[in-house]
Amino acid sequence: MALLEVLNLSIGYHTQKGYLHAVEDVSFSLEEGKSLGFVGESGCGKTTLGMALMRLLPPNGVIREGRMLFDGGDLLQKSDEEMREIRWQKIAMIFQAAMNALNPVHRVHEQIAEAILTHNASIDKKEAFEQVEELFQLVGIPKDRMRDYPHQYSGGMKQRAIIAMALACKPRLIIADEPTTALDVIVQDQILKEIMNLQKEFGISMIFISHDISIVADVCHDIGIMYAGKLVEHGSREEVFSNPAHPYTKALLSSYPTLTGEKGQLMPIPGETPNLIHPPSGCRFHDRCPGAKAACKTGEAVWVETSPRHKTLCYQCGADCGE
Amino acid sequence: MNLEKSHKRYLKKFPWMDRLRGGWAIYKQNLLGKIGLSLLVMFALMAICSFIPPLIDPMYQPMTGVDPEITKSTGPSLRHWLGTDFMGRDLLSQLLAGTRVAFLVGVSAAFMSIVLGTAIGMVAGYMGRFVDTFLMRLADMIMVMPTMLVVLMLAALFGQLTIWTIVLIIALFRWPGVSRVIRAQTLSLKHRPFIEAARVAGASHTRIIFRHIMPNVLPLSFLYMTFRVTSAIIIEAALAFLGFGDPSTVSWGMMLQWVWKTGHMFKAPYWLLPPGICISLITLAFYMLGRAMDEVLDPRLRKEAGTE
Amino acid sequence: MKMNNDRETIIELEHIVKKYTSRGFFFGTRGNEIIALNKISIKILKGEIFGLVGESGSGKTTAGRLIVRLEKPEEGRIYLNGREMAGLKGKALKNFHRKVQMIFQDPYQSLNPQLSVFDTISEPLVIHKIGNTEDREDAVWQTMKSVGLSPPDDFVNRYPHQLSGGQRQRVAIARAMVLNPDFVVADEPTSMLDASISAQIFNILIEMREKFQVTLLFITHSLSAARYLCDRIAVIYKGNMMELGSADQVIQKPRHPYTKALIDALPKFGLSGKVKHYNTLLPVEREASEHEGCPFFARCRVANKAKCSLERPLLKETDDSHWVACFYAENGTEKGF
Repeated sequence: MALLEVLNLSIGYHTQKGYLHAVEDVSFSLEEGKSLGFVGESGCGKTTLGMALMRLLPPNGVIREGRMLFDGGDLLQKSDEEMREIRWQKIAMIFQAAMNALNPVHRVHEQIAEAILTHNASIDKKEAFEQVEELFQLVGIPKDRMRDYPHQYSGGMKQRAIIAMALACKPRLIIADEPTTALDVIVQDQILKEIMNLQKEFGISMIFISHDISIVADVCHDIGIMYAGKLVEHGSREEVFSNPAHPYTKALLSSYPTLTGEKGQLMPIPGETPNLIHPPSGCRFHDRCPGAKAACKTGEAVWVETSPRHKTLCYQCGADCGE
Repeated sequence: MNLEKSHKRYLKKFPWMDRLRGGWAIYKQNLLGKIGLSLLVMFALMAICSFIPPLIDPMYQPMTGVDPEITKSTGPSLRHWLGTDFMGRDLLSQLLAGTRVAFLVGVSAAFMSIVLGTAIGMVAGYMGRFVDTFLMRLADMIMVMPTMLVVLMLAALFGQLTIWTIVLIIALFRWPGVSRVIRAQTLSLKHRPFIEAARVAGASHTRIIFRHIMPNVLPLSFLYMTFRVTSAIIIEAALAFLGFGDPSTVSWGMMLQWVWKTGHMFKAPYWLLPPGICISLITLAFYMLGRAMDEVLDPRLRKEAGTE
Repeated sequence: MKMNNDRETIIELEHIVKKYTSRGFFFGTRGNEIIALNKISIKILKGEIFGLVGESGSGKTTAGRLIVRLEKPEEGRIYLNGREMAGLKGKALKNFHRKVQMIFQDPYQSLNPQLSVFDTISEPLVIHKIGNTEDREDAVWQTMKSVGLSPPDDFVNRYPHQLSGGQRQRVAIARAMVLNPDFVVADEPTSMLDASISAQIFNILIEMREKFQVTLLFITHSLSAARYLCDRIAVIYKGNMMELGSADQVIQKPRHPYTKALIDALPKFGLSGKVKHYNTLLPVEREASEHEGCPFFARCRVANKAKCSLERPLLKETDDSHWVACFYAENGTEKGF
């Protein structure tokens, strides 16, 4: 059985201008020990999705529909108390603005020991510090830097400390939301490798959220492409990249400059991302889609399975889209 | 090219009108703001009406008009809606005239101190170095001087002060607070990329200050102006009450002083209460206006209202 | 230095040194001196897109700011069309500002929130007193169309907060291009934008070059973006020039261990197993040398302690116009492995 199964999840925000459809009808499942990457432009709902899984949506956010089955139980049915137990102990999160997640007035190792102690009453302070030492070794922070304050760390080291904190309670699922966005390429590479190794070593499942399709391609087993609140393509990494089905995925791939291969012309996606208070009718991508037909504007897009582990949400993909 | 020119362009002369409208939309939702604004409209009407009573009958002249039939203070009657003072002058016309003076003193003193404070704050923040140090030390010096005390000393030195002198003194003593705020804002703006972009385009210092920094600090200045109006009105009233007001103008403070001096403090509530209530209400109204404007200028709220 | 003598040089940086002094802990004390640029020399040729690639803190942005005179170098000279910039005054200075423009990194910060799109784009024209009202409108409309803000009628009356990130950056590009400059510094113009929007901006920049014959200095942390846009690429590290050559040379046949490390670090679209790895980066940094050694010594796997920690390698031409500052870069051999 899958560790996490999300069914028909719809999330929205009440804003001054009206109801914003942030995530609509998203379903996916994640096996134990596997990683799933969500890719999409800013505002496509990927961060909302991560926050919803932690049940940490802002006050104006509502989960309108759907189920989030984690380890057999529905996260939406859990009480706040039970959710507090699950957070960090079973599901941990590496936040987007990780640089600000550390409290500047406490030493780094104290903060992580604190996290261990609050969630595990059975151990004492000394044991907690020993665990922190182990964790720091795991994420590659030298022992002599443990007692530093956050401002003495570089961006990469702060990020490592945050990863150590996420691992502190040995969770079964980690949600990583843009964990390397503000970092330089070399440091980013190191951190990503670190995350992958740890994930493999401990068999932790991971949901990896990023706007950068190339990073997700390197890190995750499965890929989900999101556009305007909808999951539009879902499949194994190999399938999605060697055989992209949805026109949006194709457009995303051809708008990304690469180092290897032919230096072709980049094909940017025309237009702007749609307004999710009044989302477009029919397929949400229809007004930017090069292969859109009249029917795309009115008809609902449907899931088409292109291969056993690869499906796409497109009105005409089964037939002859965008070729 | 001809085709290009024949195309009618849709360039608005005053695109900022839309923003004012957007700001008004937020303001309208604010209860405090609505109350404050209604009160101010009421006071404005009163100020305008102050011209009417003297036209009806010369005995309604607020300063000089005396009801020939009355020789002592009387309560409200049909002839004198709010009653008369100790020598038979109509209290309503005095109150209305006082409204005019309150607006005059409050707005002009606040406006002058805001112009001064904004200019000094922008120059200090933008120029930095020696200019900044000099202007801010000056501001500190003035800020620590108690305004009331200095005005009282000046009044004692030069005898009676005219209403304009009082306005000027308030303006001169009340700019440092504003200039500090504006300077801080300017400092944070100075290194923003859009200022640097203007520098790269070759903009002069004057242009950067007036075209780029000023529009960004003006909303803040206006906000401070509403609070300054309040303090200016209170200072004027206090001066008048203490007997240092302009004896040729009827202000609310003056009215209170007359109540006090003629010993009617506890005998004639119809005389004491109206100017007292008016002073409280008008300062409260300006304060409410300021609080509501504060909300309009809050970038978080403005963004939500502005993004389409 | 002889390089591509057949084409004219438009901007030349000569032995530029720029230092910053961080403020000390106590008032009045001076903190550490940070060298942002260390004797950098660059010649940018007319009509090319020159890429300056480096990590944060490498000094790449500082180089751009020096060229547009937002900062002054401690040492060295900068020439525009063979004329030294430092002494410019009055009319010559104004003329300089007409010719050299900049596109900033963050489009959310580089537009004045209180100015409409029209006022923003037409401002340079007003500053330089070009044309009458109608001419300015023509120029603004034309430029807006060429950066893809079309139809301009839909945008001229808007304010920055009513625009998306990509649209803002287009406005910023239009502001830089409206004066028809000779040279534009683009400082990471897409680092704040989504990948799909970045491609739009890249293509606009390429179009600008073709339409207006403008020369571009493209500052970026991304080698793949530099590869797409640039004719030549310079890689800098901690203020030192490490490698300089044509985009193909630098990316297909990198010579410097640092460039190789950068290429290794880029995501490979899930193909990491199949792509060649240079492995020039030390997994754990070693003690930096106390002498004036190679700046990359502490992280370099190729480095030879006896040589690299004691002596700074100079920029040398290895083959046709491909310059590398490494002792072990000759002929692409990978000594020290």
